[in-house]
Amino acid sequence: MQLSAASTAANVRQRLGAAACLLLAGSLPAAAQAPAPPAWQLEATGLLYGEQARARVVEPMGRVTRLYANGRALSLGLAVDAVTGASPTGALPSSQVQTTTGASGRTTTTTTSSSILPTHTFEDLRTAVDLGWVEPLGTMLSVTTSAHYSREQDYASLGGGLKSSVELPGRRITLTLGGGYNRDRVFPSGGTPMGLAPDSDPRAPGDNPKEVTTGLVGLSHVVSRRWLLGVTASESREQGYLTDPYKVVSLVDPATQLPVAQVTEKRPATRTRDDVLGSSVYHLDHDILYVNYRYYWDDWGVRSHTLDLKLRHVLGVASWVQPHVRVYGQAPAWFFVYGLTHGPPLPEFASADERLGPLRTTTFGGTYGFHVPGSRGEFTLRAEFLYQWLVGHPPQPDETASGGGGGDDNLRRAIAAGDNGTDDGRHLGTSIGTLLIGYTVPF
Amino acid sequence: MTSRRRTWLAALILASIVFPGCATVHPWDRDLLAKKSMRLVPLPHELAADDHIYFSKEGSAGGMDAAGGGCGCN
Amino acid sequence: MRTPWTITLALLLFAVSAPATAKPPAKPLPAAPAFSLAGRDGDVSLASLRGRTVLVDFWASWCGPCRRSFPWMNDLQRRYGARGLTIVAVNLDKDREFATTFLAELPASFTVAFDPTGQTAERYKVKAMPTTFLISPDGKLLATHTGFDARHAPEFEAQIAEALPR
Repeated sequence: MQLSAASTAANVRQRLGAAACLLLAGSLPAAAQAPAPPAWQLEATGLLYGEQARARVVEPMGRVTRLYANGRALSLGLAVDAVTGASPTGALPSSQVQTTTGASGRTTTTTTSSSILPTHTFEDLRTAVDLGWVEPLGTMLSVTTSAHYSREQDYASLGGGLKSSVELPGRRITLTLGGGYNRDRVFPSGGTPMGLAPDSDPRAPGDNPKEVTTGLVGLSHVVSRRWLLGVTASESREQGYLTDPYKVVSLVDPATQLPVAQVTEKRPATRTRDDVLGSSVYHLDHDILYVNYRYYWDDWGVRSHTLDLKLRHVLGVASWVQPHVRVYGQAPAWFFVYGLTHGPPLPEFASADERLGPLRTTTFGGTYGFHVPGSRGEFTLRAEFLYQWLVGHPPQPDETASGGGGGDDNLRRAIAAGDNGTDDGRHLGTSIGTLLIGYTVPF
Repeated sequence: MTSRRRTWLAALILASIVFPGCATVHPWDRDLLAKKSMRLVPLPHELAADDHIYFSKEGSAGGMDAAGGGCGCN
Repeated sequence: MRTPWTITLALLLFAVSAPATAKPPAKPLPAAPAFSLAGRDGDVSLASLRGRTVLVDFWASWCGPCRRSFPWMNDLQRRYGARGLTIVAVNLDKDREFATTFLAELPASFTVAFDPTGQTAERYKVKAMPTTFLISPDGKLLATHTGFDARHAPEFEAQIAEALPR
C-alpha cells in the first residue's frame, strides 16, 4: 500500500523532540538533563569555616528544585550565614591602646602588643534567599531568570539576572549571554564614618546605596569525546558606597615609626571589574581532570591570577575522591597602604584592608563523594586548608619625604618584625580550615 | 595588562576554544560527556561555597554567574 | 572587530529559527542501509528481515530518553509482532557490559544488536540519541524520529501501523 504524500514528506523530516539527548555542555543545570522522573531534587549543604584565632562561620544552605518533563526547572534556595569572631581593623600593631568601632556598633577598646594585629570582634547573621527559573525554548535555546535577596545586620541586597544559552548547529558549541543587576544598601552599625577622618568623629546615620551591573558572555566547546573546554568573560560596574566602614588606617610618626593615630579608610565610589575564566574538563582513562584559570583586573589596580586543579578519581562503584589545589596571587589596589605618615595631608583614598593588598592564597584539600546504597542520594564531604599572606613591597612609596619609598618600607619592616620576628617579606599569614558537607537527593 | 594585550589574550583564549574541533564527535561518542561529572561545574554547591569564601577573603570577584548575591564583604 | 559579531549573530539566528516544514516534491524512497551485527543469540541482519516492517532504534545505556522508550517499544513488539513488526534496538555502548547492566534493569522483549564501533549508526546518519528509523517490508526508509517524547508516541505508532505488511 502506498503511503500518502504527507508521509513521504515526513520521510526524512527530523523532529527534534524536546526529550532528545541534547548536551548543552554544562550550560544547563543538571536538573534539565535529568533522565526520567523524579520531579524534585533536594540539596542540603553545610559549611563550617574557621580562621586561626579569628572568624568562625557556620552556613547551612538548602535548595529545592522542581523539574518538568519539557526541561523546565524552578528552584528555591535559602542560606543562613552565622559569622562570629574577629577581623583585622587595618590598624598597625602597637603597644598602645587603640580604639575602633566594630560592626556591633559599640566602641571596642583594644589593648595590643607590638606583635599582634589589632582586631575587632563581631557577630552577624546573614540570610539569603534566591529563586531560579530555567525555561528551554525549543531544543537549542534555554533562558534562565533569577532573583535574590539577602539581609544582614548592616547590609541588604536585592538583585536579579537573566541568562540565555544557545547551542549552535552541530551541537558542539554553546554560547551563553547573561546580565545581572543588584541594588544594595549599606547601613553601618553606629552610622557611616567620614572617610579618612578620625575614628572617633561623629558618624552619619542612614543608608548608603550601591548599584552593581554585571554582564557576561561564555562559550563552551565539546572538543572531543573526552574533552570539554569553556571560556567566560565578564564585567561588572559598581557605584555607590564601596568603603568598608569598620576598617581604619594607622598614622605613623615618622620619627618613632610607631602608630600614633588612626583614620577611617576611604575607597573610590566607582569600581569596574573584569575577568576572563578558562575551564577545561578532560576525561582520562579512569579519572577526570578539571583545570580552571582566571585572570581578573579592575580599575582600582587589583589584578589577580587564579589556578584551580581538581582530579576526580572513582574508587568503587558508588564512591569517588577528588583532591584539589588552588593557588591565587593578587596585585594590590593603587590606594592600598600599610599605614600613612602622620603630619602631611592625607591622600584622597587609602585602605589598609589586606584583601586589597598584595595577597597570596594557597588552598589544598579534597572531596569524598559517595552514593547512599539503596537510595538515589549522594553525599559529598570536603575538607580544605587555606593559607593566606601578604607579600612584597607596597606599590607606591608613601607620600612622605622620608627618602621616597622609605616610609612604607619602614612600616613593612616594622610589621614584619612584629609579626614573625624576621624580615622575610611575608606577613599577616592566616590559616583557615573549611568543612563542607553536601547531600543531594532526587525524589 | 594594557587594553590591547587583554584583547589579544581574549582572542587567543577564544581561538584555542573554537579551533581544536578537528576530531568528530558523533552523538554516540557522547557517552563520557553524559556523566554528571563531565560538566564545567560538576559540583554547583561547592562552587557556591567557594564563591562566597574567596569573595570575602580576596579582592577579586567570582565572574561565574551574572547574578551573584551581594554581601558587602569585598 | 564587527565581523565576528555579525557571524556570531547570524549563527545565533540560524540556530534559533525553527526548521522549515516545506513539502518537497515526492521522491522515490531511499533504501535503508544494510547491516549485519552481533545480537544476543547470533547475528542480526536487515536482509534477513525482508518482508517484515522493521523499527531500527539506536540507543545507549547512558541516554536518558532511551530508558523511557524501552517500555513503549516492548509494548509495540507485543501488540504488532504477530502482524509483522520487528524491532531491532542497536546498542552503541563502547563496552557491552554497560548494555548488559541496562538490559538487566530494563529487559527488552525485542531484538537487540550491538554496534560498538558506531559504523552502522554512521551509515544511518544518526544525529542524536536515540534515533528511530521505520523501514518498510521491501527495505525502504519510511521515517526518521529523533529523540523520544511520549507525547508524540501515538502519532508515531499510527505511522508504524500504516506501514505494516498487508
